[in-house]
Amino acid sequence: MSKNAAQWSAKPGFPQTHYVDSRIYADAAIFAEEREKIFKPSWIIACHESEIPGQFDYRLFNHPTGVPLIAVRGDDSKVRAFYNICPHRGNTILYDPAGNAKRMTCIFHQWSFDTRGNCVDISRADQGYQNRFCKEDAAMREVKCEVGCGGFVWVNLDDNSASLREFVGGAMDILEPFMQEPMEVFHFHKAHVRTNFKLWHDTNSEFYHDFLHYFNRITGMMQPGYFDRRYTGFPNGHATVGSMEIRYDKYEGSKDRAVGWPGLAPGGWYMVDLFPGMTYNLRTSVLRIDTAIPLGPNEVIIEFRGLGLKRDTAEERRQRIFDHNMIWGPFGRNLHEDLLGVHGQGRAMREGTDSRWVIQGREEDGTIHDEVGMRHFYAEWSRRMDRPAYDPYREGKPEPVRAAA
Amino acid sequence: MLKTERRYQIEELVYRSCLALDAKDWKSFLDLCDAQFRYTITTYSPEIRKDMVWLDHDKKGMDTLFTNLPRHNSDHSPITRHATVYTVDVDQANSEANVVSAIQVFRTQLDGGATELFAVGRFHDTVKLNGSAATLARRVVRLETRLLGYGYHVPF
Repeated sequence: MSKNAAQWSAKPGFPQTHYVDSRIYADAAIFAEEREKIFKPSWIIACHESEIPGQFDYRLFNHPTGVPLIAVRGDDSKVRAFYNICPHRGNTILYDPAGNAKRMTCIFHQWSFDTRGNCVDISRADQGYQNRFCKEDAAMREVKCEVGCGGFVWVNLDDNSASLREFVGGAMDILEPFMQEPMEVFHFHKAHVRTNFKLWHDTNSEFYHDFLHYFNRITGMMQPGYFDRRYTGFPNGHATVGSMEIRYDKYEGSKDRAVGWPGLAPGGWYMVDLFPGMTYNLRTSVLRIDTAIPLGPNEVIIEFRGLGLKRDTAEERRQRIFDHNMIWGPFGRNLHEDLLGVHGQGRAMREGTDSRWVIQGREEDGTIHDEVGMRHFYAEWSRRMDRPAYDPYREGKPEPVRAAA
Repeated sequence: MLKTERRYQIEELVYRSCLALDAKDWKSFLDLCDAQFRYTITTYSPEIRKDMVWLDHDKKGMDTLFTNLPRHNSDHSPITRHATVYTVDVDQANSEANVVSAIQVFRTQLDGGATELFAVGRFHDTVKLNGSAATLARRVVRLETRLLGYGYHVPF
């Protein structure tokens, strides 16, 4: 029997931890609050160290709060991060997404900065400012920056934030044994999708949607061990997914991933979902990293990186790239399906559609089709936002935000 | 074969390859290809300052890709390839020609029929010449466009 309006709007018959009010995916005010309460104090991946290997190499990054950043390796080889905003007239300092700049010079009035954020030249300073303003007054805004968790460059806009290690906690322990060797980015692309960033992270946080992927059904769901994979939640909203042996040879046109990964069992596949929108995805021969950068409540850029080992031979790298592209490249079998999935959610949940609830009610003892990964995320989201995801406007009776799933 | 006739033949091969792919007539496309055919999509990333390969298959691999398409969930919006052959350099000694074409790909939404420019790039084709016959031996699609929204399952 279909539902009438009242039935459609009625709260789902699950515990409050097991559903979300879908207005949190479309509300501009909530999105503005997310930028301040969630993204500003979180550690976010800006790039990988292999993208800035040499002194003075830099990489631009558009932070989810909207702040444009520069990650740059200094003359002392330390990686630092700064606002890509000239302290003079607020102009963009660096334009190209990556490059090498011993001096970072604003094209507007030629104010120049070194890679430690010091202003080293103000054009005609004495004539214009006399003794009222000098280079020391014109330093760049530096933000917290650490290199870690596999050589990634992380940034945090909150000067008082906890360390990266404290933020990640034990969530990366499952991957640490496989990230002992230097890695290298061989693939980068962005996808611009009209959907909410949380919906992309949801997709990375549940495997029930393997029904979307023929490749995953054939090589995973129909193979032994699939339903034994387990979710583990960690503080700060992170979660991991255990491994199994993926049978890549079961998909026509694919084959066993012979090149493998040091220490990882054949066909192994681990995932780590880091709050609020980053995923490590180590699938046998390739590490994929997703970084969600929301542009609005219903608009997100997702940065995709593919990594191999720095010591790869040409043939090993060629094989990793082939494996990556088979499912994860822009023309790969799985990525298009996942993006199409969240694009569809964005269409159905944009403002005014009368989408009401997203159900996260599957309980399967924490195994692969259990939706505990998403529930764990929204418990942290609710805590940080001080809004229950199931009742973000507190239309029901006042209640404390829900406890962790 | 006269030079102009050869050029006309090669141009038509490029255009027929586009028409076959636009029509999702995979067999006709593969019939235009040599047994040693290889298809690659490449692009350069200014972000990581590296050349990238986004797809790379031999003829059998392309055939398998096409065969598997109905098993996947795909965007069903049709795409239209618009090619313009720029240069044709015939290497008589090796019985082949190197052909550079501009390519624009347009995507038309099923609902309402709005058409948008999806991607631009170039075909770098190697055409095998065998008497009066011409077949595609190699196609490298060099993309300028890297932002492809929610993507697409069918190669350009």
